[in-house]
Amino acid sequence: MINKLKLAAGALLLSAVGFAQEVEYTEYDLDNGLHVILHQDNSAPVVTTSVMYHVGGKDREDGRTGFAHFFEHLLFEGTENIERGKWFEIVSSHGGNNNASTSQDRTYYYETFPSNNLELGLWMESERMMHPVIGQEGVDTQNEVVKEERRMRYDNSPYGNLLYAVQKNMFEKHPYKDPNVGYMEDLDAAKLDEFQAYFEKYYVPNNAVLVVAGDIDVKETKDMIEDYFGPIEAGEEVTRDYPKEEPITEAVHAEFYDSNIQIPMAITGYRTPEFGNKDSYVLNMISTYLSDGKSSKLYKKLVDEQNIALQVGAFNLEQEDYGMYLVYSLPQGETSLDSINTEIEEEITKLRNELISEKDFEKLQNKAENSYVNSNSSIAGIANSLARNYLLYDNTSLINEEIDIYRNITREDIKEVANKYLKPNQRVIIDYLPEEKEAE
Amino acid sequence: MNKNIIAVAVFLLGAVGLNAQVDRSTMPEPGPAPKVKVEEPETFELKNGLTVMLVENHKLPRVAMSLRFDNPPHSEGNKTGVSGVMGELLGQGTTNMPKDEFNERVDYLGARLNIYSGGASANTLSKYFPEILHLMADGVINPKFTEEEFDKTIARTKDYLKSNEKDVAYNASRVRSALAYGKDHPYGEFETQETIGNLSLSDVKNYYQTWFSPANAYLVIVGDVEKKEVKDLVKKEFADWKKTAIPEVNIPEVKNVEQTEIDFVDMPNAVQSEIALVNTINLQKNQEDYFPVMVANKILGGGGEARLFLNLREDKGYTYGAYSRTGNDKHAATFVASASVRNEVTDSSVVAFLDEIYKIRNEKVSKAELANAKAKLTGDFVLSLEQPSTIAGFAMEIETEDLDEDFYKEYLENIDDVTLEDVQRVAKKYFLADQSRIVIAGKGSEVADKLENMQYKGKSFPVKYYSKYGEEIEKPDYNKALDPSVTVETVYSDYIDAIGGAEAAKAINTIAFTATTSIQGQELSLEQRKSSAGKFYQTVAVSGNVMQKQVYNGESGYMEVQGQKMPMNEEQVKAVAVEANTFPELNVSEDAKVTGIENVDGSDAYAVKVNESTTNYYDVESGLKVKTLTTVSQMGQTMSIPTTYSDYQEVEGLKMPFTISQSMGPQSFDLKVQEYKINEGVEDSDFE
Repeated sequence: MINKLKLAAGALLLSAVGFAQEVEYTEYDLDNGLHVILHQDNSAPVVTTSVMYHVGGKDREDGRTGFAHFFEHLLFEGTENIERGKWFEIVSSHGGNNNASTSQDRTYYYETFPSNNLELGLWMESERMMHPVIGQEGVDTQNEVVKEERRMRYDNSPYGNLLYAVQKNMFEKHPYKDPNVGYMEDLDAAKLDEFQAYFEKYYVPNNAVLVVAGDIDVKETKDMIEDYFGPIEAGEEVTRDYPKEEPITEAVHAEFYDSNIQIPMAITGYRTPEFGNKDSYVLNMISTYLSDGKSSKLYKKLVDEQNIALQVGAFNLEQEDYGMYLVYSLPQGETSLDSINTEIEEEITKLRNELISEKDFEKLQNKAENSYVNSNSSIAGIANSLARNYLLYDNTSLINEEIDIYRNITREDIKEVANKYLKPNQRVIIDYLPEEKEAE
Repeated sequence: MNKNIIAVAVFLLGAVGLNAQVDRSTMPEPGPAPKVKVEEPETFELKNGLTVMLVENHKLPRVAMSLRFDNPPHSEGNKTGVSGVMGELLGQGTTNMPKDEFNERVDYLGARLNIYSGGASANTLSKYFPEILHLMADGVINPKFTEEEFDKTIARTKDYLKSNEKDVAYNASRVRSALAYGKDHPYGEFETQETIGNLSLSDVKNYYQTWFSPANAYLVIVGDVEKKEVKDLVKKEFADWKKTAIPEVNIPEVKNVEQTEIDFVDMPNAVQSEIALVNTINLQKNQEDYFPVMVANKILGGGGEARLFLNLREDKGYTYGAYSRTGNDKHAATFVASASVRNEVTDSSVVAFLDEIYKIRNEKVSKAELANAKAKLTGDFVLSLEQPSTIAGFAMEIETEDLDEDFYKEYLENIDDVTLEDVQRVAKKYFLADQSRIVIAGKGSEVADKLENMQYKGKSFPVKYYSKYGEEIEKPDYNKALDPSVTVETVYSDYIDAIGGAEAAKAINTIAFTATTSIQGQELSLEQRKSSAGKFYQTVAVSGNVMQKQVYNGESGYMEVQGQKMPMNEEQVKAVAVEANTFPELNVSEDAKVTGIENVDGSDAYAVKVNESTTNYYDVESGLKVKTLTTVSQMGQTMSIPTTYSDYQEVEGLKMPFTISQSMGPQSFDLKVQEYKINEGVEDSDFE
């Protein structure tokens, strides 16, 4: 890796001496198609066992949204050999912690244990993949839990529907138009056999990656993996053919009402390319430039100097089929959303017309490197990166090479990408407004 | 489905033939507790005494460094707080680099650097390590102490102390330490307005010269660096740091009480009592009791699965959380079991605490409790090891706490070795139920008598009374006998007389005023309009922007928060109605009751409870209204908001308060009234 790194301007003495070792890993397939990645690091007696399934919110049919997220809950209900309701107790009484998450593109389950519980972690994940109990009782229970979660995180939470407000205006045909958590009526209407069919279609070894990272012995671990995961039967190949969107050529204006807020929010969205595309990395860098830290352009201008915004943020939501680039801001006092949008567009215009300064560019490089280094600072983080890079980016070695992509970005790239994706006529402008609650 | 199940079953049969050892129907047993590999630090010492410990870890191109002092605890006496003030002043630039430039440089490099009273810490990419080390050394060795920053810091510290005056938890913990260790012990002393007022810039410089010395300093560096370079760089940056002799210090001995007693501190504004059962312990990491004590404490009060939590919260609902903890320290430490409980269950909570402490002393814990506590401690330890800062801490502790070199390598085995007998033995030795100070800060008028009358297993405890500053005092008379001739009518008419008489008061139809204060550089203003027709209008604005508005027309009203309007509910209408008048005391409501005499800022005052949530206080001597206490319940927590009135001055023949002080939690502010407008500046339309 040493030779691959170009020195940033201003880099000092030691940079020539030592850089990070690569994250080493072994990868292979089981006969049933389950891809396995092992990362051995015996420096701390910690092991993470994780499975990422290539199934997310977008894998659904109209009228049956939110299934992948629902399964994130359902697959903690128990298995043929793990009694219902015991999952979390097993984890904590073995000194571990665990969690799961679902995006539009994938679902991720993991446990981190002291390494003497490696076999336990493998057993639990293989039980989940092999024969979880998908019964009416669990479906009913989790339906209530998901409803509570939906209320808490979206319907009852200020700005909780921000993403949905953008999605429904940015996409017409592609499943990204619907919320990841789904519509409650879809989940209410779904029958048990539909859930069982969904499981058989997507939660199969050939649609997943197993990562074991940390304090392991590779040979022993391979044997255990064969023992626990080998017997799981392969499924049909998963294919996807979601509709393509027409380009946005004329700015879209929309309003969205949220009863949980008092201060409106100005949102500008742009449809951007799929993740893995180099332009997507450039957009990440543009986000840093615009809103990361007190010296970033939008923060400094809107919050610090002009005092017209309480908060401003820009981020690139990377996704498998299309990305979503968002700039949002909360106005201060009487400032109108229009004037905020005008100020934001002014900064983006500069990005399209001028090269950013050398000094800002160096800071971006420093920040990119810093966040890259820290993204690999825990075993659990490395496991997640390995799973994602293989399953979604189709390139496990990105874990060591991603920084090179950033290093190869130039000031000219930034200008070019801004011109390609961040044009005024490609915007989706959303006034996210307080909804007056009716007097009781 | 069926077909699939058969297919799997067939496959499984095959697998069983090959791998007979896997029986997936039972949960795998954990392997032997892992041996922890704690990196061995390279250690070297500079001539000035600075000990440098280096843990090379090339996994990531980053470096964490921390500087700590192993100085003996020392009293700051009548200048307590000098170390904190010095810490605030460190990192504000150096004699070589102005403050802004210093901070900008750290940011540009993407690093973090913090210098404080007990040392310094920094994180950086390894390529910027030399520069960050340089900035850290410069900040540590060449601090710039200016009068300007000193004055700012003193003012901030005084504000901070003031804002905590009524904070029940803050006062409780201060008195707890003062009583447990003694006020002349470094761990028992505390800063006050007076000790901070005693400070000068030269005290700060002296303190820095005396204690910020390399003699007892440890610099721990963990990360992607090579020994040779570190040695050269550290020498280059830190060799000029002058060694000064660390003074000899005599630390007073700590003693526990002979028998359990209750130490009570009156906090008239308390809606919850802060209870802490405390005794000092002599526990150090290098003692064999260390591990059993950790396990015992985990079972007694170490989290949401522990006995105290399950008893006081889950079973009885007295509190949001009850915990215990044991310190370890080569000089002195305490065992503390504590909770914040509702006033009315203060005595019952003491009983519940004692029950649990006696139980773990008198009976063995269950095998399952022992196993779960060990598993949790094991997991916590193991998972914490990933972070370089953890390893750095270990490296230094081995030196400063005089630990065996293998202490952390054998840590997990030692947890595993703890037996049921060990837990009971150490519970008896360290959780001193018979020699405990039960320190309670709470509302004396509601709590004190109950504590005096409470019995535990047929015995009552001596109750001693302390001031907020930890001085023993006579039992205050919380509920002064109320002369039966005192009624709401007499209190109200005394008040009306005090401000100028009924005739003058009745002549007033409207009152309007604006009061302002400054909070963190922003102007906060309160505007109020009231009419004798029972109407009310109030706005709160920050820097001219109205944040909050209440309008009440005598029958109904609304609140507006940041532009969002909501009609008042029944409760809110009730609350505003008692205030909505020029002088509400002109009319005596049936619901109002005199509940007693209480102390308000040092003077006796009659408490008149107007309704469930509002009590007004009238000074016994002057008759003036001195305080309103409003109780608000929100998200299961009850909070009382005191508003005090002072600086009464005459306006058109009537005495009106020109200072209105309010405190909410740790914040308090004094609003100064700019001007009262009487019978002018108020329209009827204001109240619609």
